[in-house]
Amino acid sequence: METLTLEKNKLPQLIKKIQSRYTVLAPTKCDNITLFKPINDYKEINLDFLNSKVSPKSILFCQTETLFKFKQGISAEVKSVDFPNSKNVIFGIRPCDAKSFSIVDFVFKDDFVDPYYMNKRENTVLIGLSCIKPGVNCFCTSMNGGPAFAEDVDILLTDIGDKYYVEIKTSKGNEVVKTSKDLFSKASSSDKNKKQEISEKVEKAITRNMNTKGIVEKLDKIFEDPIWKNISLKCLGCGICTYQCPTCHCFDIQDETTLSDGARVRVWDTCMNPEYTVHASGHNPRPARMNRTRNRVYHKFNYYPKNYNIIACVGCGRCINDCPVNIDIIDIIDQAREVKA
Amino acid sequence: MVDLKKLRESTEKIINRDDVKYVIGWEKGTHGFQVTPLFITSSDDVERLIFNPLCVHNLTVFLMLQEKLPLRKGAEEDKRKVGVIVKGCDSRAIVQIIQEKGLNRDDVVIIGIPCTGVIDPKKINKKFPNQTKTVDIDEDANNFVIKIDGKTHKVPKEELLMDKCKQCQFPNPIIYDVLVGSEIKTTGKPNYKDVESFEKKSLKEKWEYWEKQFEKCIRCYACRNVCPMCYCKECMVDQLNPQWIRRSVNVSENTAWNIMRAFHLAGRCIDCGECERVCPAEIPLVKLNKKLEKEVLELFDYRAGLDVDVKPLLSMFKPDDPEEFIL
Repeated sequence: METLTLEKNKLPQLIKKIQSRYTVLAPTKCDNITLFKPINDYKEINLDFLNSKVSPKSILFCQTETLFKFKQGISAEVKSVDFPNSKNVIFGIRPCDAKSFSIVDFVFKDDFVDPYYMNKRENTVLIGLSCIKPGVNCFCTSMNGGPAFAEDVDILLTDIGDKYYVEIKTSKGNEVVKTSKDLFSKASSSDKNKKQEISEKVEKAITRNMNTKGIVEKLDKIFEDPIWKNISLKCLGCGICTYQCPTCHCFDIQDETTLSDGARVRVWDTCMNPEYTVHASGHNPRPARMNRTRNRVYHKFNYYPKNYNIIACVGCGRCINDCPVNIDIIDIIDQAREVKA
Repeated sequence: MVDLKKLRESTEKIINRDDVKYVIGWEKGTHGFQVTPLFITSSDDVERLIFNPLCVHNLTVFLMLQEKLPLRKGAEEDKRKVGVIVKGCDSRAIVQIIQEKGLNRDDVVIIGIPCTGVIDPKKINKKFPNQTKTVDIDEDANNFVIKIDGKTHKVPKEELLMDKCKQCQFPNPIIYDVLVGSEIKTTGKPNYKDVESFEKKSLKEKWEYWEKQFEKCIRCYACRNVCPMCYCKECMVDQLNPQWIRRSVNVSENTAWNIMRAFHLAGRCIDCGECERVCPAEIPLVKLNKKLEKEVLELFDYRAGLDVDVKPLLSMFKPDDPEEFIL
């Protein structure tokens, strides 16, 4: 829509202006890790970060969400929860994480519109921040994204030296900055070139890549191949890969009660947990770790593309970075491609 | 440093036995300083086996992660032994599990490696960030020798060692069938300086500290799954009836989880530090384990995983126990 520039020293002013109308969530240092948290003051923001440890999906798809509350006993009643009217800005979201929202949107508004996610989604503006230094396991460029990819954010900021190159992509984005237009300047063509240059430079710095050509069809043919057993041998069955993944969106629903009160809550679930597929009868259709490790790969690279025509991976590299036993999704896809089928 | 040729020879001998289904060791990982568990199922796999100071993983967890799935009609259970390569600390896990009768000594073949200490992945990744290519590491008496892009870096061991290794008392495996390399002399003593200085803090300070830590927990249970001692058929956190800990993720439930986990390891934790290594929220879990280890040592003069013939702490009774805590 519109391209502008913002002097770096004006950023605190901009955030302050935005804060008068929005709750701002930004990368902050929590002890030794970076997480997206609501901030009160600009000083809490830590922009010297590669990416947040837990993906910002936790803001829209909360790890714990109360669906409704109830009273038990004779005076039983159900109380719905209010949706907050407050508008949020996620400031500093990376293009890969922003893309993850575009991907999981399909699930939350497909045949049933999930009001809990969609309410937050509609009331949240994404101000992205291009990556200047990619991480070891970043491979967004293989997943139709890029370090300065602006398609999934409302506004994208790119550090071009002493100022930010600002791309306002949507009317939602425009709404956020409309009262602070005086802080910005018009972008010149040299600014635009600079952004282009930087984005190309960073793209080149990304060393890992995943070849997904034909992977959907390939996976159809190798469901029973021994590679899944081999890959799963070293899997511990913890939930790191799925909880850290910005596109994993499975949940469990539980009633949590005291004697008189209770709440139905939705919490993240992980297909790595044997309980995930246990039927009420006790039967488990995915009894072995092999079934579960395979499911993560198939959900992302086979079922999801079949349902929604997009691979459910953005190349953020979190699952590779944090896996305790170095199960590497790039390596898995490479291995799958090599299987003769 | 272990003679890799000898290690591979010993492993090959074991995998060629008819009564062994696989041997668990380490191989190069997919990037940077990563090393990854390797399941050797035939002598062809042996050449992938490595051992260097990056081999942090306590592989004994895989003995307890073996799945016993329902068999198809007519199929017979694979009762072959599992081989595992262990460092000193790792071996204590096997001893403790045997003490607890969680494992049969005859079901495992243990290759022991006297260990001179392993590198903390967090420390080395901080010192040499952004390593994509896998890196070769060697060591001399006092330094790690790291080759990156043709350049050799000598880093004093003290800088990169896991904290647990700096005070290691058990570099030599306590239990093994084959020992590769010669035993190392050690002067390590139990050291609870960290715990002691933390104990001096006020209750309020301690609570604030742990609240901040547990707030970060995402309940992925990697700490549990990586722990060789966490082998309950059903973990108390997974139980629904009764439900001890709610699935809601908040400071209260997270605290319950983390404290329960630590308490279930009292007198059992063998200080391999795997829980803290894998925690994506970087919660200092070893601090909790160490506190309990200290209490157990002071109260009962017991250390976990040192002798297969000793009864585990929580299942023994001594008539001469002072029982000072009972009124």
